[in-house]
Amino acid sequence: MVDRPQRVSLLKAEIRHRLSSSFVLDCKFEIHAGFSVLFGASGAGKTSILDCIAGIKRPESGRIEVDEVVCFDSAKKIDLPPSARRMAYVFQDLALFPHLSVLENVIYGLDHLRKETRQEVGHAVLARFGSGHLVQRSTRDLSGGERQRVALARSLVTNPRALLLDEPLAALDRATRLKMIDALQSWNEEHAIPILYVTHSVREALALGHRVLVVEAGQVIAQGTPAEVLDRESWE
Amino acid sequence: MNWQAILLTVRLATTVCALLLVIALPLAYWISFFNRRWRFLVEAVIALPLVLPPTVLGYYMLVAFSPHSFLGRLADSLFSVRLAFSFPGLVLASVIYSLPFAVQPVANAFSAVDSRLLHAAAVLGASRWRCFRTIILPLSKAGILTGAVLTFAHTVGEFGVVLMVGGNIQGATQTISIAIYDDVQALNYASAARTSALLLLFSFVALAVVYALNRRSSILWSTARSA
Repeated sequence: MVDRPQRVSLLKAEIRHRLSSSFVLDCKFEIHAGFSVLFGASGAGKTSILDCIAGIKRPESGRIEVDEVVCFDSAKKIDLPPSARRMAYVFQDLALFPHLSVLENVIYGLDHLRKETRQEVGHAVLARFGSGHLVQRSTRDLSGGERQRVALARSLVTNPRALLLDEPLAALDRATRLKMIDALQSWNEEHAIPILYVTHSVREALALGHRVLVVEAGQVIAQGTPAEVLDRESWE
Repeated sequence: MNWQAILLTVRLATTVCALLLVIALPLAYWISFFNRRWRFLVEAVIALPLVLPPTVLGYYMLVAFSPHSFLGRLADSLFSVRLAFSFPGLVLASVIYSLPFAVQPVANAFSAVDSRLLHAAAVLGASRWRCFRTIILPLSKAGILTGAVLTFAHTVGEFGVVLMVGGNIQGATQTISIAIYDDVQALNYASAARTSALLLLFSFVALAVVYALNRRSSILWSTARSA
């Protein structure tokens, strides 16, 4: 991975976007480096919030800023394309490229580097996530857990400004999930970027979040530490 | 067997196939990924040759290709080429006539590419062009090949448009299907039977290839999605 200077990273989002005639995304929040959990029931608008931050959906109004880079500002008519935002996004369905090998998937975002460097970085990040042996395998032949690890490696290798994770560990068994969380946490100790982790599992929210944002019907209705917010809302 | 007509038909079908691939890729991309207000009109125009009688299409093209028309004068002044009753005119007419056979399978293949893969590529920094080159094109290989095979086969088998625009000039515009018609008119049934059998065999092989390609691609997709 490419070295990046240490600094305090911050993701600020203010999003207003009508998803249907009866559902409006209307939220405002700031998250610092480290894990923040976007917690809510299915259909609350969590994935749409990530899509807006990544630039896949264009909000009707609002402002999205990460690392002091304005990615979207409806007032100033700024709207960076997803390719220029440098966000890493692990989709719920992982979206691995089915026609590429594991290594080709992982180095897809490193097109600006020389071929040899790309390969080295790809091997290193796969090894870090316990997937060094999968390098030449086709993504179609991977188990659920292996696919999750490859998707995570592919997103982190680009040295992103922020990491968006849409229930990436939902399909894993408890032991694998804990291993992945450890690997992610150790990665983030070095890189210290804002990580927005979407889940509807209280257990995951308690295990991961330094901070939890509770989303309901497209709005962030509570923010705080897991203990504060989850107790207050009686999610247990 | 009329080898001159067979060779001319293969030359025509190969040229049309190559030209249509160049035209179909951007057209199919536009149809699949740009939600423009007038897209339905473009789709309707492209599909017109599917429903229009070949003689009607051939008539309009013959009028458009006449030396006194704008298109005829343009081709003459730019390339010193006469379009009516010539091989270049036949190529242009066949490109228009076979357009839906090239565009529709490619557009269907492009539309079938999972949008999440395109989003993933974009988030990883890929430009639209790189996304097209590295994700859409390889995943649409079967659709593109289907379009190419259908275009080739359709051009080989066309009759009405070719007769209207090209006439029946041996070595210049006489294709296989017109040679068969000529044989029948001259009561040369043995020659007509041989050439027809060749065309029948070719059409069967072409369709078998198309179905095999689509079967393979649907297996690939279902494996990728269930993984």
